[in-house]
Amino acid sequence: MTAGAPEGYRVERLAAVPGLGGLYAKGATSSARIAATRALPGSVRGGRDGSDPTLPSVALRVDHVATDLPDVADRLARYQRLVGERVGDTIPAGFLHVLGFPVATGLMTRGDFPLPLLGMVHTANSASLVRPVRLGETLAVESWAEGLRPHRRGVTVDLVTRVLVDGEPAYRGVSTYLAKGVHLGSRASDDGSAPSADRSPHAGLPFVPTGRWRLGASTGRDYAAVSGDRNPIHMSALSAKAFGFPRAIAHGMYTAARALAEVGPARGETYDWSVEFAKPVLLPSTVDVSITRGTAGDEGAAGLDRWSYTVQDSRRGRTHLRGAVTRRDRTHD
Amino acid sequence: MIIGGNRIPFSRAGGKYSRVSNQDMFTAALEGLVARFGLQGERLGEVVGGAVLKHSRDFNLIRESVLGSSLSPQTPAYDLQQACATGLEAVVTIANKIRLGQVESGIAGGADSISDAPIAVSEGLRRVLLEAGHARSTGSRIKAFLKLRPSDVAPLTPSTDEPRTGLSMGEHQAVTTARWGVTREAQDEIALASHLNLAAAWESGFFDDLVTPFQGLTRDQNLRADSSAEKLAKLKPVFGKRLGGPEGEGPEPTMTAGNSTPLTDGASAVLLGSRAWATERNLPVLARVVDAETAAVDYVHGHEGLLMAPTHAVARLLARQGLTLQDFDLYEIHEAFAATVLSALAAWEDADFCRDELGLDAPLGSIDRARLNVHGSSVAAGHPFAATGGRIVATAAKLVAAKAAETGRTARVLISVCAAGGLGVAAILEADPDDATAATGTTTTAQEG
Repeated sequence: MTAGAPEGYRVERLAAVPGLGGLYAKGATSSARIAATRALPGSVRGGRDGSDPTLPSVALRVDHVATDLPDVADRLARYQRLVGERVGDTIPAGFLHVLGFPVATGLMTRGDFPLPLLGMVHTANSASLVRPVRLGETLAVESWAEGLRPHRRGVTVDLVTRVLVDGEPAYRGVSTYLAKGVHLGSRASDDGSAPSADRSPHAGLPFVPTGRWRLGASTGRDYAAVSGDRNPIHMSALSAKAFGFPRAIAHGMYTAARALAEVGPARGETYDWSVEFAKPVLLPSTVDVSITRGTAGDEGAAGLDRWSYTVQDSRRGRTHLRGAVTRRDRTHD
Repeated sequence: MIIGGNRIPFSRAGGKYSRVSNQDMFTAALEGLVARFGLQGERLGEVVGGAVLKHSRDFNLIRESVLGSSLSPQTPAYDLQQACATGLEAVVTIANKIRLGQVESGIAGGADSISDAPIAVSEGLRRVLLEAGHARSTGSRIKAFLKLRPSDVAPLTPSTDEPRTGLSMGEHQAVTTARWGVTREAQDEIALASHLNLAAAWESGFFDDLVTPFQGLTRDQNLRADSSAEKLAKLKPVFGKRLGGPEGEGPEPTMTAGNSTPLTDGASAVLLGSRAWATERNLPVLARVVDAETAAVDYVHGHEGLLMAPTHAVARLLARQGLTLQDFDLYEIHEAFAATVLSALAAWEDADFCRDELGLDAPLGSIDRARLNVHGSSVAAGHPFAATGGRIVATAAKLVAAKAAETGRTARVLISVCAAGGLGVAAILEADPDDATAATGTTTTAQEG
């Protein structure tokens, strides 16, 4: 759950967390460059000899990320209010993702990162908070890419971010991104053929809404303001259209963070939190949420420390996201 | 001891009371009660009540109402708020203080207005206004206003959605309704009985000494004396429409505007006093508050229905009093929705629920439906949230006193009220034949000196 970068990766230290605004500009340039240098449309080549692309075997690391600054406290409170977390000094896993996001983005905009930043789709996320992190603690953040693999619609890659406090791992998040229409030349797709719905732990159970979210048109802009993720697909209908969406879409991590918050204090101080994103949530919209404690066929106390959630458009029967939260700080025999 | 009650007729939202406030309505209900029992200038022990939808300026709603009434200005008061259980909790609170000897008398009640509900500004505008208010210079004040966005100007109207889930109370009940398999027909039957029973009570003059007309309204505006099963059956479902799913494979929606409570404006008040206090003033005594219990359920992730807390409250109350669910002459179960009453009744009859959720060896069983809400309840009368407890307690006290006078033995009524936030309050009232005979003016053969 807390493993560091794969063997053979070298650590490159950054003095500070990079600014996301500059990274997006750089990402746009590098995306254009990648598009221009593709030997064939729709494929990515790693080297001039036509071999498969490779990920940079580099972990970017920022040793000192201070959280005792007033603007961090203010941003955390705004984040907590927005996603429904209890406002306070405990940093929820979703905000650690936010803090690490620029470092991961920095990696994706490097010249040797083989996939275009713009247009990549966040398909899944799983995170483990193994030690509570509190405001005021100094964090080390490191990020690397691994697991480049074919997908039926392109290739996917995992961006892994670790947060350490006093050298001890506190958080590890894996964000899976899909680069659509990009193919690995030499490897056949071995993933994504099974519909993800069947992997849901509570597939087959009727959907009982336990909550309803009314997501206004400004949902994307509001989350952008606290997370810094100003990807144009979230900001307005106009900017989203440029990327093929009919309207702006909600940040996946905003919806997943709300689901995490809705599990409530029973999740404990440390927990695993996973999500798979299906259909994007177009803004504005009203979606139904179902949180189920325990899982079918998983009776007993351990099952009670697990919550499954699904967010869907009940009228159209479309699933937007589903995932689970599991409490870590209690072990059951 | 419950001496009497008074309320104003309940009005449909946007009706006769659209220009009056919670304070206006509660003062009217209070003043009617004062007039009925000759309490002008009296210093009562306490007046307790509240409103669910409340302006921030109404921080002392009840005290301000007292000052606007002809009670002695030396009568203390405080606000209490427990969603739809506000009124009943206020009655319990005063009854407890009387029992402890801390006060000799008190008035409990509440008021709620949908028509005059507070409107809040958006979070963005609120932050800007607060920041500008704290600013020390014109420059920083202007700077604060520059942060204002056009969307911040839209006002926020209060909603009856549960804050923690975003689902309306009706949508929550729709899940419970489906879970307990409560049918449309059974709900419509409850709704029809509510209207017919309330209409009959008005016709018989039952409310003559329980209601003061207000703003030209002399009867509950929502009451449909001409309601019929056919009319109710025609209404389209309004809650639980999404439960069926896009293919309609799930449960059919059953909850309509006809078998749900409408949003309503109104106020109510109940006079309580010790026996000595009542005797001294030659006031009648209708019933005594025997005991009460408040419960809450874990509804957030749907472990239990939002409005199912009364099932727990009643079970614990019965256990403490050594009573069974069948030991009552009357039952007053608040009809948040007709389905709420039916879900509770079904739960008490269900062995699994009573064992797993209530921790009982055997189910509480069924009740004689002829004793349930005999003079109608909230589906017909309407439900101005904080005013409902006072309406039910006054009606129940008068009914149970009449029952005692009629039978010549102690009569007992069970009251239960569900509330937002997964809350529920249950209470037991008892009337003794001697008191009841004096209070109701009827004679029985069981008189004694």
